[in-house]
Amino acid sequence: MAASLVRFVRGGLGRSYNIARTSCLLQQQTRLQSSTTDTQPTVRPKDAVTHNQLAAFGEYVSEMMPKYIQQVQVTCFNELEVMIHPDGVIPVLTFLRDHTNAQFRNMIDLTAVDIPTRQNRFEIVYNLLSLRYNTRIRIKTYTDELTPVDSAVTVHKAANWYEREVWDMYGVFFANHPDLRRILTDYGFEGHPFRKDFPLSGYVEVRYDDEVKRVVAEPVELSQEFRKFDLNTPWEVFPAYREPKEAAPKLEAGDAPEKK
Amino acid sequence: MAGLLKKTTGLVGLAVSNNPHERLRILYSKILASVQTMPQDAAYRKYTEQLVNERFNHVKVEPDVEKLEKKINCGQIEEVIFQAECELALSRKMSEWKPWEPLVEEPPANQWKWPI
Amino acid sequence: MASNTAARAAVGAAKVVRPIFSRDLDEAKRRVRELYRAWYREVPNTVTTFQLDITTRQGRDKVREMFDKNKHVTDPRVIDMLVIKGKMELQETIHVWKQKTHIMRYFHETEEARPADFLSKFYRGHDP
Repeated sequence: MAASLVRFVRGGLGRSYNIARTSCLLQQQTRLQSSTTDTQPTVRPKDAVTHNQLAAFGEYVSEMMPKYIQQVQVTCFNELEVMIHPDGVIPVLTFLRDHTNAQFRNMIDLTAVDIPTRQNRFEIVYNLLSLRYNTRIRIKTYTDELTPVDSAVTVHKAANWYEREVWDMYGVFFANHPDLRRILTDYGFEGHPFRKDFPLSGYVEVRYDDEVKRVVAEPVELSQEFRKFDLNTPWEVFPAYREPKEAAPKLEAGDAPEKK
Repeated sequence: MAGLLKKTTGLVGLAVSNNPHERLRILYSKILASVQTMPQDAAYRKYTEQLVNERFNHVKVEPDVEKLEKKINCGQIEEVIFQAECELALSRKMSEWKPWEPLVEEPPANQWKWPI
Repeated sequence: MASNTAARAAVGAAKVVRPIFSRDLDEAKRRVRELYRAWYREVPNTVTTFQLDITTRQGRDKVREMFDKNKHVTDPRVIDMLVIKGKMELQETIHVWKQKTHIMRYFHETEEARPADFLSKFYRGHDP
């Protein structure tokens, strides 16, 4: 009985929580209340101060470079994301590295995401760290199989191997890369394994052949038909991204206090 | 003078500057000159001028290096010099790129929609 | 996948796409010829350095076969991409990053041809 009551209260709160997104104050109140009823140690608490700081900085950046920045958003986990046009990779990264109010001098990660249903199927993601201001930023851009992206090696030396990895795994070509070649796959390997249309079992299998005294690669042949499993969970996968709710608000370039 | 205050910055590749005021003065006036070529309403020009002028004023009025570091509040004076050098290089590149122009191309529909 | 690419090609025809290297088909073809010449000259060196049990003639025929496999491609960007990959392969061969096994994989020596007619399929026992 008590358990069902708690669940009811929790559900009710969750709903009001979604509605009250617009007001910061209300949000905090809800959080306080919900933290009294249920403690979920895995859920990161809302941090309005950081959120506003990041949003202000995002507006600052997008106001500075309206030519390249398409969208800026702060995710629900307080991560600042800047979506840019592929032409703007070098300008935006250089700006973030050299500008005194940004100083994102470290490239933490560079990777790609393959979403085959999109017109530009690859998303290239750059994660940067500013040691001076102890902040992180994520830059995203897009490309398809045949469009080259400017290499970020001239801006961040660390991008060299990351770009080789992306080239090897996804087949995205980086223009003006000093040493673009395979890094993870074997010599003679064909295809790009992280693409969504690359089969899980691969195309070739490798064995030692005693007759020719060397390792040979042959087309893979499975004795059993590849089994399909239904891997979809019955639960909601992105509860934070329910459709009717408005998405993470897109920030417009406007006058905003600059972040120090 | 700074040479008497400290022997090292404690940072690899960053030598102690002997005349930070002189160096900063040169760099800041160069940045301001480089920014002059941009259009008046460019956000980059506006904010950079504001920032540089603020620091430049501190440099002008404060002869003591340690107090100046505290006033600027962005690390040691050598780091501030390094930041100014970066900013100068950036401002020159910026006038080439002209990032204050309108967006080059709108993203394709649903490009940034997640989850699909 | 194929229809997807076709649709994208139709879109690409309408808008200006960013070239990889070559602006038109002639330039792309020139790059292909350059790559072919480089491979052609490299074959004797490869045969000696890797101590392969093939003649130079066989190696050159294989190179020609590999190029002919893609002769239907007409999009300069696709050609450029194939040339880039071919150049990387050539670099791996010249620097002897590859080993004998990687070179000999082009020749598919140990692979048995898939049974085509009913009887040979029957003898093989299963039909994958």
